[in-house]
Amino acid sequence: MKFAVEAESLVKQYRGRGGTVEAVRGVDLRVEAGEVFGFLGPNGAGKSTTIRMLTTLMSLTSGTARVAGIDVAAEPDAARRRIGVALQEAGLDPRQTGRELLVLQARLFGSSKPQAARRAQELLELVDLVEAAERRIKGYSGGMKRRLDLASALVHEPEVLFLDEPTTGLDPASRVTVWDELRRINERGTTIFLTTQYLEEADQLCDRLAIIDGGLIVREGTPGQLKSELRQRRGLDADPTLDEVFLDATGRTRERLAGEVQEVSA
Amino acid sequence: MSTFQQANVLGGRALREALRTPESLVPMLFIPMFFLVVNLGQAGKIFPSGSTSFLHGQSYAAFQLPASLLLAASFGSAALYLVEDIEGGYFDKLRASPVSRSALVIGRLQAEAVKSLVITAVLVVLALPFGVSVASGPLGFLLLLVLTSLWAVVYAGFMQLIALKTRSAAATNSGGLVFFPLLFLTPNFVPRGLLTRPMEIAATFNPVTYVMEALRSLILQDFAWATLARGFGVAAVLGVLMITLNVRLIRQYD
Repeated sequence: MKFAVEAESLVKQYRGRGGTVEAVRGVDLRVEAGEVFGFLGPNGAGKSTTIRMLTTLMSLTSGTARVAGIDVAAEPDAARRRIGVALQEAGLDPRQTGRELLVLQARLFGSSKPQAARRAQELLELVDLVEAAERRIKGYSGGMKRRLDLASALVHEPEVLFLDEPTTGLDPASRVTVWDELRRINERGTTIFLTTQYLEEADQLCDRLAIIDGGLIVREGTPGQLKSELRQRRGLDADPTLDEVFLDATGRTRERLAGEVQEVSA
Repeated sequence: MSTFQQANVLGGRALREALRTPESLVPMLFIPMFFLVVNLGQAGKIFPSGSTSFLHGQSYAAFQLPASLLLAASFGSAALYLVEDIEGGYFDKLRASPVSRSALVIGRLQAEAVKSLVITAVLVVLALPFGVSVASGPLGFLLLLVLTSLWAVVYAGFMQLIALKTRSAAATNSGGLVFFPLLFLTPNFVPRGLLTRPMEIAATFNPVTYVMEALRSLILQDFAWATLARGFGVAAVLGVLMITLNVRLIRQYD
């Protein structure tokens, strides 16, 4: 079977002044074509590092990763043609207009000028930004930027779409809009690999999940399987929430998580 | 799409970026003109055109103009925009597309060369009222534009190296200041033969000297081919070196 994403013993080490840090310590992943796959974990667990390795943005210390059947280390350009990427920070150029950004992105993926213009128009319609298309991006709201970033990851109709915390910082209405768009994109056959810190989001969107902690996968399965496993193990009367699955998997308490949130927001 | 076409697309975007921030172009005109006027005011009387052989009958402003042109060419903003792209995440977006790593580097440098062509032409026009003319004629003027733009590519390439290595706007800005000592360790005020021995040795080892002397030869004299060859040679070698180092760094960028 051809997997949309396949990683084996993926390791990433950084060398810093304080010695070597192992951000990812041997991750194995398999994502089937057409799935929406959620990759969860606390801050610093290795989510973003893993996604950056899978999207050719970061070298692998060891292990292998194939996306759409292509080895990302051996053939990075071929892999880039098959993937779309929207990272944590909406990667946009604030001085361009929304339309210019999409046309440029399409041109970089090999479209001619007329093809790029057509594709930009289609995507602006898809993410409902036609009216703002001629405005410079620096004037866009957070939600508009996220949607444009998503559109720019789709210019070449990728087989696999990687999204790193696509709704972080968005208000609830914008978040629901992004969810709807992701569902539409997935219905068209695109595999979606997303990281998120919002467990409700993972529960709503994802067919399967993996939870990473300390650079290792600690749980993997459908949301239902993960909840049911915890219910049985703990002898609970009802299915636990995904929050409880997450806390159990990462060995964190609610108090400790609250502390982490405070640290981040301080 | 070839690397050349990709570089053109990215260069077009970089030019658009510059046109939309005209305030970044103001220092490129104002500071070099300021130095030209101040240096002329301070030393113009010491070197009268009639009795100073190295001026070839022109005003001292003509002798000073190359320093101002090189200063303007070293004020390129490509590296600072690159840091913005890195900090804002757009650089990763570009890196995640199947664009040649060379095009990522060359696109911005190409835009810097075009900006420098325009700024140099404007500066030469602004210098005309100070008694400056380009003695080598229209072809010499063209060579002057090309050589100054080549230097702009070299220096923007150097600044981009700092940007890629440090990913910091502050460090990249500091890199720009390196040009000041380089500019003053040249035959900036008098020809190399009139410098003190230690200064002459320092100027001889400074690559900026050869570019400055080539520009100066085009303004003050007819074509001095050996001087031009040295100037273009230094700029070309450094240009290739900077592009090579940039591409290497961008390939290793994690």
